[in-house]
Amino acid sequence: MLPRRKKRVFNILLMFGATAIGVYLILFALDSKLDFFYKPSELNFNELPNNRIKIGGLVKQASIERKGTRTYFRLIDFSRNNNAEVAVMYDRVPPDLFKENSGAVVLGGFNDNQVFVAEELYAKHDENYRPREVTSE
Amino acid sequence: MIPEVSHFLLISSAGLFLFSGINSMFQREIYSNSSIRTLNINTFNLGIFLMIASFVIFIFLVLNDDFSLLYIYSHSHSDLPTFYKISSIWSAHEGSMFLWIIFLSIWCWLFVNKLDRTHELLKLFIMISSFIIFTFLVFLLTTSSPFERLLPYSPDQGNDINPILQDPALAIHPPMLFLGYVGFVIPFIFLLAYLINGNFQFLWEREVRKWCFIAWVFLTTGIGLGSWWAYYELGWGGYWFWDPVENVALMPWLAATAFIHSLYASIKSNVLKSWTIFLGLIVFSLTLFGAFIVRSGIIDSVHAFANDPERGLYLLMFSGVISISALCMFAYRFPKIISPRLIVRGSKESFLSLNNIFMITAVFSIFLGITYPLIFEYLNDARISVGPPYYNTIFAPLILISSWFIVISLDANWQRFVGLIKILKKSLFLAIFSGFICLMINYISSIHISIIENIGLFAGSLILLRYLYEIIMKLITPRYINIPSLLSHIGFGLLLLSISLNSIFSFEKNFQLNLIENYQFDVVSISLNSMDVRDASNFQSIVASVTLIDGSKKYLLQPEKRKYFARDQVTSETDIRSTFIKDIYINLGEQLDNGAWTFKLRFNYFISWLWFSVFMMILGVLVHIRSVADD
Repeated sequence: MLPRRKKRVFNILLMFGATAIGVYLILFALDSKLDFFYKPSELNFNELPNNRIKIGGLVKQASIERKGTRTYFRLIDFSRNNNAEVAVMYDRVPPDLFKENSGAVVLGGFNDNQVFVAEELYAKHDENYRPREVTSE
Repeated sequence: MIPEVSHFLLISSAGLFLFSGINSMFQREIYSNSSIRTLNINTFNLGIFLMIASFVIFIFLVLNDDFSLLYIYSHSHSDLPTFYKISSIWSAHEGSMFLWIIFLSIWCWLFVNKLDRTHELLKLFIMISSFIIFTFLVFLLTTSSPFERLLPYSPDQGNDINPILQDPALAIHPPMLFLGYVGFVIPFIFLLAYLINGNFQFLWEREVRKWCFIAWVFLTTGIGLGSWWAYYELGWGGYWFWDPVENVALMPWLAATAFIHSLYASIKSNVLKSWTIFLGLIVFSLTLFGAFIVRSGIIDSVHAFANDPERGLYLLMFSGVISISALCMFAYRFPKIISPRLIVRGSKESFLSLNNIFMITAVFSIFLGITYPLIFEYLNDARISVGPPYYNTIFAPLILISSWFIVISLDANWQRFVGLIKILKKSLFLAIFSGFICLMINYISSIHISIIENIGLFAGSLILLRYLYEIIMKLITPRYINIPSLLSHIGFGLLLLSISLNSIFSFEKNFQLNLIENYQFDVVSISLNSMDVRDASNFQSIVASVTLIDGSKKYLLQPEKRKYFARDQVTSETDIRSTFIKDIYINLGEQLDNGAWTFKLRFNYFISWLWFSVFMMILGVLVHIRSVADD
């Protein structure tokens, strides 16, 4: 091969190599850093996921209980058309928009007693910074 | 009656823009005939004038509490201070879209009137901007009109602006951000005109560079203010959450940063011509994509606009058509755009362009992170979310390499290769030194430091050390120093360093306190002195006064909880004491059955450094704008 062509082939190979490595790294990062998102009714209590997940739902009425800095509550489906619910524990001060009958998203994992221990708790809201479900009703 | 005048003015201005667009389309010659040219420019200016008049009337209506308008009824209140009445205009979708378009048009108007009347791109610029403004006006008027009225029974009182939006930082954050976003419409339209025109002898860079730098300043300020507001008002304790809404602002920012770098190289040494054009087109396209993501509600975000498929579809269609046609034009003209020079391997431009590629890689990864949940849900029928770990993993290697390139590019020369040894010598020494700093911090702190945090520390201190070296050398022997670059890059280094240090050292304590009770950890002791109820015009608040003793220092902190009557909404006001090293950040929680109150206390390290570093980056660009204005 001519030296110039050799160089060009080398450059193209280098480019492909770099792109492949880049894409691989991105996909790898994506794969290992995903949090699956569930509704309370989508969880199977006989076979709870043991990795970190997110659960989004509505805070059940009269389910909020405070013991010290811990907040216990139950999440139900937004649609309210089934009776699936998840017990959640959060050991930090919840955000202002967190209240019963409004949306919340929790990130964390289940403990042995089937209680979801939330590391993070987000109260959902829309452009009016009010819980989304309150405005849609 | 007055609302209709405002509405009518806006419709008329849309008509004028349509006329001006079509009018310029059918002129073959580049304004050979000066009366047609005058007609065209005047139509355009009149359109802008009517639009601004319409907006001024709208402001007047807001100030006069005209609650017969649905928008004003939903977002304003007669008790609000004037400042917040005005800012209520951009507190929701319709009004903020209105402001967005106003800014877009003002930028175009300023640019058109700055251009020489005989400029070869003037006609095309007016044509494209007229069509873009027209389309957005149609979008505003048909899908999200702020002029909808509640008649005949209009309410006497408004719904009030959301309390957490009643804040000076948030009142200026959207206008700044919008000015930045739509500021990049200037290079976009200008480049599109340039591509259509097809005269590639013409040097476009100098005509738009100042505009691009100014838009960058606004965009950065806007993002910075938003982050600052989230930090002290939302009470989550952080400043950046990798939320989709933040990501769609970061994407144009990264692309814009790449763009202004390559613009600089392009002017300096005539390289990277087509790449710069590509970036110029991409920035505004990303802005449009961002508008679609935020305003369609397609992505689950903690702060999204209400879900509205109609708006989303229109925006997707429009942003798709406009970006794709611009890129097609670029592809069509691509073979003709020749860079007079090629990049020399190992020259300053080569490192700059490699960093450019990294920035675009970052943009792409963010894009993937935003859209991946949608694709995944479509394919697998399961929902996922992509969070901070993904972005941190992606950014860390990119930042490691690009900080290295920033450092070695300081020793490289424009247009030529001075030899590997010379380039690497200094940086290798500095790398060892900053590695040593990392080790020291790892050794001193009892906390585990992750690889990603270590990368941030290393990259940040590497950049800072290199520029410190530069300053010292300058003091010893007088020599040329690029001050804007110095300021901005020190800002960037400091940003990396403070982000990492913040992530390493910050911590949170949640606890409960009764009156005159004490809570202690390490050398910190906190006691609750009193809880007071205070009344204000539109809210009632409970103020806790807390004494915090940190070693030998004593602070009186007053976090409070407010209940706003108009919306029956509770908000917390965080109390923050900034010291040189850390912020003491305290939030008041709820009252428990036993009468005690819960508190959230955070020690946020190096936060003020972070704000300062953003300021440094902006300052550097401002100095550069000044020097550009001088020549």
